[in-house]
Amino acid sequence: MTMNNNLKYIIKTLIVVLCFSGSLLAQTKTPEINVKDSLAVIEQDSTIIKQKYGLRVGLELSQLVRTAFDGEYQGFEVVGDYRLTKFIYLAGEFGAEKTTSSNTYYNATTQGTYFKAGVDYNFYKNWLEMENLIYGGFRIGASAFSQTLNSYTVYTTNQYWQPQFSSSDVKTYDGLTALWAELVIGLKVEIVNNLYLGAHVSVKGLISQEEPNNFENLYIPGFNQTYDSLGVGFGFGYSVSYLIPFYKKDK
Amino acid sequence: MKYSFVILLLVALSFLGCEKDDICSADTPTTPSLIIRFYDVTYPNTDVLKSVANLRIQGVGNDEVLPGYNVVATDSIALPLKTTETITQYRLYEEYVVNDNDTPDDDTDDYITGNEDIITITYDMTEVYVSRACGYKTIYGNVSINLVPDSDNWIKLIRSVDDNQSVENDNEQQFKIYH
Repeated sequence: MTMNNNLKYIIKTLIVVLCFSGSLLAQTKTPEINVKDSLAVIEQDSTIIKQKYGLRVGLELSQLVRTAFDGEYQGFEVVGDYRLTKFIYLAGEFGAEKTTSSNTYYNATTQGTYFKAGVDYNFYKNWLEMENLIYGGFRIGASAFSQTLNSYTVYTTNQYWQPQFSSSDVKTYDGLTALWAELVIGLKVEIVNNLYLGAHVSVKGLISQEEPNNFENLYIPGFNQTYDSLGVGFGFGYSVSYLIPFYKKDK
Repeated sequence: MKYSFVILLLVALSFLGCEKDDICSADTPTTPSLIIRFYDVTYPNTDVLKSVANLRIQGVGNDEVLPGYNVVATDSIALPLKTTETITQYRLYEEYVVNDNDTPDDDTDDYITGNEDIITITYDMTEVYVSRACGYKTIYGNVSINLVPDSDNWIKLIRSVDDNQSVENDNEQQFKIYH
């Protein structure tokens, strides 16, 4: 990929150098030049490369894979970003998840929707007309969900009397909410024209949550599993997305 | 570019191994046992601790001796309560001795000497959420202990530490038995 572009760069530079001895072209403002067309580019100064600005929308892949293979999980997420400036993208996700957390002592199902909004900063310097991203960003996330306690068995270290009390009265706790902040690093690579593959990891800090009475939020959609009292969550994901270009602007 | 994708992929995958060990720690207070201490009945108002000799404890309806209480001398006991019923009964033997009837090789004619008293513990139960790893525990309220009267009770008096005695943790004494 890099080799290919180096080659392209050299060829383009050569063409430009050759052209330079001739008359300079008068048409300096041609906003709709196709950057893929190297002949069009050489009509201008080779350092001026147009980049695409637009809305990129896609789907999170790992949740779809989990939905297919993990019987206790269902989820999807729509991802999107909108390019504001050279480096800054408005970014957000929304989705829904349903998952069951269980161990020997209880079985509970969490179900709900979430959205996240924030900003990504692309700190990758692209070659020429490439438009890949290595970015860092932050999000504010919010979720509304319910948690259902399907069954539980009382925990006791002393097993002299057996069995222990267990209940399978289904208890549903509605109207639970959570708010969190998230730091993301990731990348998006343009694999074919306007189609991107992405990967990211994130670390999340819980800001507030509405917890069920005599229970806790074992899982928060969009936030993932909670860790006892820490208020910290982790996530990762892969995405495929398509860029809908709105306009082009100098690099 | 290709390489950074691979590196990031590896970083992402490493998070898969980050699940917390979901094992309930022994330090976490879960379902408590009932704590009873033994006092000398000669001084019912000054509370002088008095050990029970050769104490053997067995739950009524349970085929096994309560572990740790198979003929011991102690002034403090912890009795687990049933979490499925609001009543638990225990046999407390004082001076439990197996008499081998002068035939130590033949245990068919052995007999037990000692004084057996039965206590009946009644309570109500509440299930309280503890944590992700431990789930729920039972705590007990309105606990009372009644002695089943017999011709020769070695237990003379049972008192709770508080009115409407509750059993919510393993760290405090809840009842006093005078003998």
